[in-house]
Amino acid sequence: MKRVLGESWAVPSLDSHNRDFFTKGVLTLQRCTQCKHVQHPPEDVCEACQGFELDGFASAGVGRIESVAVVTQSVHPLLADRVPYAIVLVSVEDAPGILVAGNVVGSDADAVRIGDRVRVVFEDATDPRSGEKLAIPQWEVIDA
Amino acid sequence: MHGAAAIAGIGESTYYRRGESPYTEFQLACIAIRRAVEDAGLELADVDGFVSYLDQRNNPVRLARALGLKELRWTGIPWAGGGNSMAAAVQVADAAVAAGYARHVVVFRALAQGQFGRFGQAGGSGGGGGGYMGGPFAWNGTYGILTPAHQCALHAARFMHDHSISQEALCEIALACYANAQRNSRALRFGKPLTREEYHASRWIVKPFHLYDCCPENDGAAAAVVTTKERARDLRHRPAAIVAAASGIGPPYGVFDGATLGSAHYRQVAKHLWEHAGCGPDDVDVAQFYENFTGTVLIAMCEMGFSSPDGIEEFVSGGRLVGPDAALPFNTSGGNIGEAYIHGFEMINESVRQVRGESTCQVKSVERALVVAGPGYCPGSAVLLGAPQ
Repeated sequence: MKRVLGESWAVPSLDSHNRDFFTKGVLTLQRCTQCKHVQHPPEDVCEACQGFELDGFASAGVGRIESVAVVTQSVHPLLADRVPYAIVLVSVEDAPGILVAGNVVGSDADAVRIGDRVRVVFEDATDPRSGEKLAIPQWEVIDA
Repeated sequence: MHGAAAIAGIGESTYYRRGESPYTEFQLACIAIRRAVEDAGLELADVDGFVSYLDQRNNPVRLARALGLKELRWTGIPWAGGGNSMAAAVQVADAAVAAGYARHVVVFRALAQGQFGRFGQAGGSGGGGGGYMGGPFAWNGTYGILTPAHQCALHAARFMHDHSISQEALCEIALACYANAQRNSRALRFGKPLTREEYHASRWIVKPFHLYDCCPENDGAAAAVVTTKERARDLRHRPAAIVAAASGIGPPYGVFDGATLGSAHYRQVAKHLWEHAGCGPDDVDVAQFYENFTGTVLIAMCEMGFSSPDGIEEFVSGGRLVGPDAALPFNTSGGNIGEAYIHGFEMINESVRQVRGESTCQVKSVERALVVAGPGYCPGSAVLLGAPQ
């Protein structure tokens, strides 16, 4: 899938915390191997048990829009022809308490509502330095 | 319970539209500090401490040297964010003076968004932009969530949704700031009143924020001298006692998580402030609320205990915030939106003026003047100033 904000928009700079999230093609969240607490964004330490052993949890990627705002004035030249675009925070059914940021594909920005059910989809991008393929999580309304 | 310290002097530079300051940011800082010290009836050599908040570029050693301080005994800066720490900076000075680590601490903020980056542009001061989004910016910037307006819009949208709040409530905050600025010749919006029609006709920045829901970007500096209550009594003006200050957060700690979405992160600040002060919102005669955006001010007002979320639209409507005789006299100098965006520090000076009886929108016999720092970022902070006792 093409990028919502355009092929030239910035990509995440991959690091040990975000690599799985932005490359796996499955909504991968950080989970503590000891107490199974899921947290986002990832941290060096489990916020529930203070353990250091953390790995990835594959979420089914189904959730609900908890907030939506519509960016209408571009704040970067690369986004000038991309406004208006919706920015959303999504709660994930199988990881209560966390919110994942994103955009919405396949809907008018102004039509997106709090409470809409969504599922994760992935946009394709390439890290321009390393050539590594990215799969950036985005959201699609399944049940408005 | 009164604290041990007071604000004895205030000063500010002329306030400028972004990029129009003839002075560098460091010169603006020097102007505000010099005027605050003069206002107190002190000499620059009497100053022995500096406190500011992030991301202040004018470091205290450079200032001490340029301003000819006899010695520098105290420097401090609260961690994290920016305008959310405006009142926490006063708290840091209060603590230093109360403990005797310094005698005359200047708290200040200088900002030249013309000379340096703009807060409202990607890559301005927050990092990011084209190319790569690294570290914490990866999670939001990848999706075009780039500025404080974008982040605060997500909080405001949820708050409005949960409590059936209309656009008119946001409009009322902007109208009150503009109306009060019409009394204040320091204000950049002085002589430029705003109507409800102009508000609604203005362009969207990020829905639910119109242009007039967003604070402007300005150049200028403001400063205040904090000293002990006893010392302040001997100086030129009626001191503004630091009755109580609070800063903090948590848990939960996240800016965006399930438990804090729709919050301004001020519940804990309110609890500690009112406990420490031994009073509550009903005892406040005049309040300044940092408006980064109108929508987040509504949330902060509720979390500080002035209204229930379901009652906030009525609380701010019908001119209830406008002028010195308002139900809640609010942002009486015009605030960030109407006076100038000096990262909220102009509100500290306005509160001191209210306690002295020198505001251009003077509330009768002010005993308690509240300043609430930037909402939507954590840790938040607030300070309650009061008449000397």
